[in-house]
Amino acid sequence: MKAIYGLYGDGMSAQQAVNRLRAAGVADREIVVMSSQPMEDYEFGHMDSRTRIWWIACLGGLIGMATALGLAWLTEVSWPINVGGLPTFAWWPNLIIIFELTMLGAILATVVTLAVTAGLGRGSSFYDPAVSDGKILVGVANPPEASVHELESALAAIHGAQIKMI
Amino acid sequence: MPHSRINNDLLRPLFQTSWRFYLLVGIFGSIVLAALIAWLSQAYFGFGVTGIAWPIYWGFYVTNFVFWIGISHAGTLISAILRLVDAGWRRPVTRCAEVITVFALMIGALFPIIHLGRPWLAFWLFPYPSERLIWPNFRSPLVWDFFAINTYLTGSVLFLVLPMIPDFAVVRDKATGLRKKIYGILALGWRGTPKQWHRLESAMSIMAVAIVPVAVSVHTIVSFDFSMAPVPMWQTTIFGPYFVAGAIFSGIAGLLIAMALLRRFLHLQEYLLPIHFQNLGKLLLVMALLWGYFVFNERLVTYYGNEPSEMAVFWRTQRESFAPLYWTMIIGNFVLPVVLMGIKYFRTITGCVIASIGVIVGMWLERFLIIVPSLGHKYLPYSFGTYRPQPVEIIIAIATFAAMTLLYVLFAKFVPIISIWELKTGPSERTGLPHHLGHVGPVVTDRPRP
Amino acid sequence: MPKWGMAADLDKCTGCGACVTACHAENNISTVGADQAARGRAKHWIRVERYWEGEFPDVRLKFRPVMCQHCDNAPCEPVCPTYASHHTDDGLNAQVYNRCIGTRYCANACPYNVRFFDFFNPSWEKPLHLQLNPDVSLREVGVMEKCTFCVQRIKATTIAAKAEGRELKDGEVNTACAQACPARALVFGDLDDPESEVSRLSRSSRGSKLLEDVGTKPKVTYLSRGN
Repeated sequence: MKAIYGLYGDGMSAQQAVNRLRAAGVADREIVVMSSQPMEDYEFGHMDSRTRIWWIACLGGLIGMATALGLAWLTEVSWPINVGGLPTFAWWPNLIIIFELTMLGAILATVVTLAVTAGLGRGSSFYDPAVSDGKILVGVANPPEASVHELESALAAIHGAQIKMI
Repeated sequence: MPHSRINNDLLRPLFQTSWRFYLLVGIFGSIVLAALIAWLSQAYFGFGVTGIAWPIYWGFYVTNFVFWIGISHAGTLISAILRLVDAGWRRPVTRCAEVITVFALMIGALFPIIHLGRPWLAFWLFPYPSERLIWPNFRSPLVWDFFAINTYLTGSVLFLVLPMIPDFAVVRDKATGLRKKIYGILALGWRGTPKQWHRLESAMSIMAVAIVPVAVSVHTIVSFDFSMAPVPMWQTTIFGPYFVAGAIFSGIAGLLIAMALLRRFLHLQEYLLPIHFQNLGKLLLVMALLWGYFVFNERLVTYYGNEPSEMAVFWRTQRESFAPLYWTMIIGNFVLPVVLMGIKYFRTITGCVIASIGVIVGMWLERFLIIVPSLGHKYLPYSFGTYRPQPVEIIIAIATFAAMTLLYVLFAKFVPIISIWELKTGPSERTGLPHHLGHVGPVVTDRPRP
Repeated sequence: MPKWGMAADLDKCTGCGACVTACHAENNISTVGADQAARGRAKHWIRVERYWEGEFPDVRLKFRPVMCQHCDNAPCEPVCPTYASHHTDDGLNAQVYNRCIGTRYCANACPYNVRFFDFFNPSWEKPLHLQLNPDVSLREVGVMEKCTFCVQRIKATTIAAKAEGRELKDGEVNTACAQACPARALVFGDLDDPESEVSRLSRSSRGSKLLEDVGTKPKVTYLSRGN
């Protein structure tokens, strides 16, 4: 079986479903939740929320800064050209290039990290279009044969659940 | 408002096309095509077909450049700054604004190529190890322009595209056939797991923090195109903040016009509410006052300095040949917005649109009046001159507005113009409740035990 | 290393315009036709400015030949994105046509308005094309051009002197305008050589620089009794 899941109409039911799955012995990283908007008000909306993306963005910024500094310094010093009596490597004008490439580095690092950690572009294991209509999906992917019945009863215990198996 | 209703309303333009769409694309597309032909004629016959002449070497093209880069600051303000201060009313408006940013930037960024004498060599601005053993001059404001605009464009495109991914997933789910396939690819396999949402929101926060200084730097650097030259009334330190304020000002005006048109033509009356226009109208008022403050600063200090070449340019705009344009600018940029946006009775949607049109006209004139009067009246009387724009420049200037409209119409056809997931997440202005709960009782945020 | 400069004696200048003609001839500057000239497209690398002073009947004419001042603090140089405008070791403001992409920022920055843009490809009616100077390149549409202090003459004479193993003498290198001036109002030479005529004239009490307060450090000294 590819997956077993229930569709719930609101966040509270979904939270109860997640709790029941946990009670049934399913580990947090096995529980799949899908929603059409971020459910920050509920605990399940904070699953898997530890991220290093801020640090990576800063790192990207540093790489950008180093690139700009290297580019400006190496090119200006290797081929020194006198313009308007300015020094060969003038800090004030070069700071602008350094700033821009720093920000570009941070931005690109953020986007690449997002793409990689959110699994964008990778094929998904399963999905139900009802999510777009506001339903919240709570389920387990590739459940072991033995526990399917137990999971089904856990998910169905919540009022208003729609259980599906694929 | 239930999910299905929101989905239907906001996805309708994607799934239903009327003859009006084709008419708009046809008309604006033709104007853009005419401009392309005009520019190609300039490249073929020589730059002399424009009105540029000694000593006024920058005219309509650079005016358009600064103007459109300025308009692009709309999105940054709404999307990024309002996101950072957590202003909920921004939610239906963010994508409208970010779209303006991206397209205005694209249009503006074309002008450094359009106004070149040898545009086929524009790639020399890109730093690459060339066989001529020469790199771009990093000390030149034009190279700063290149880096700044490209960074801002990259950031803005990503800032626009990232929150589109969940909406593409909605379209994918609602569409059939070829459309489903295409949007399926565009949705990049988005499922909406908490992990994905959290990563997306973190990325958006970082981008918001990053894009604001970049936006400020971009228009400051554009102002450096003027303030780095010893031209009367150009070499002033006020240009940096003055241009940034003017950019945000014109951006809000552009956004108000775009929102009013979208509301009307895409029937978004339930999403783009009068409160949105009122809030943006108040921002327009603030920016008008700020613009007035900067103009007052610039002119008072010049007046007091009484330096002959500066005062010559000063009077040229205020009293002499450029006076009609100057006073039109003052009315459009200051009088009209302050009166219409300052008096609550006039702060309606119509009032906002009228004030915004005044600002658009006024800001375009402001760019023109910064460039041409100064260049025509520098230091040596023998080299004073005048500028007469030629058909090439006029067609291209008009076509920028046509291009903006065309791109916007096309965008609204293929992407939901209001961010569906952001709208559902935030509180509804009418009920104060999260949209997806609509009118169903009070919000219950029962935090279960972990 | 020589530092090339010029002195222009306004008390001697008669406004004849021979310098302008000589410059056109030496540097392959095309004329643009009456129409384009009326629109301000003429490219006079050196121009003679004419000023009227006083009220009738005490009217006096003042002529001032203005060419690129080859400023030591040139505002046109830092702003060029492709290093087409830069300063050489011998004090010239060089314009490298091959690098120019025609942004025209340099021309806006120049307070003297001595930079010119090629609005069209140049053309010479036959048989004038036979008169072109082979030492000077033709500029295509879209590039900036300006007075070079006849760099082709400087280079040719310098190379010849080096080949003969000697230093350059004062007066050996002459720009076309200085050579053509019948009143000898224009003097060209090495400002670093204290004995040269241009050095002497630049120290004259009649001497002043044009737009000195803008801070460009121009290298052309204008001599006039009225100072």
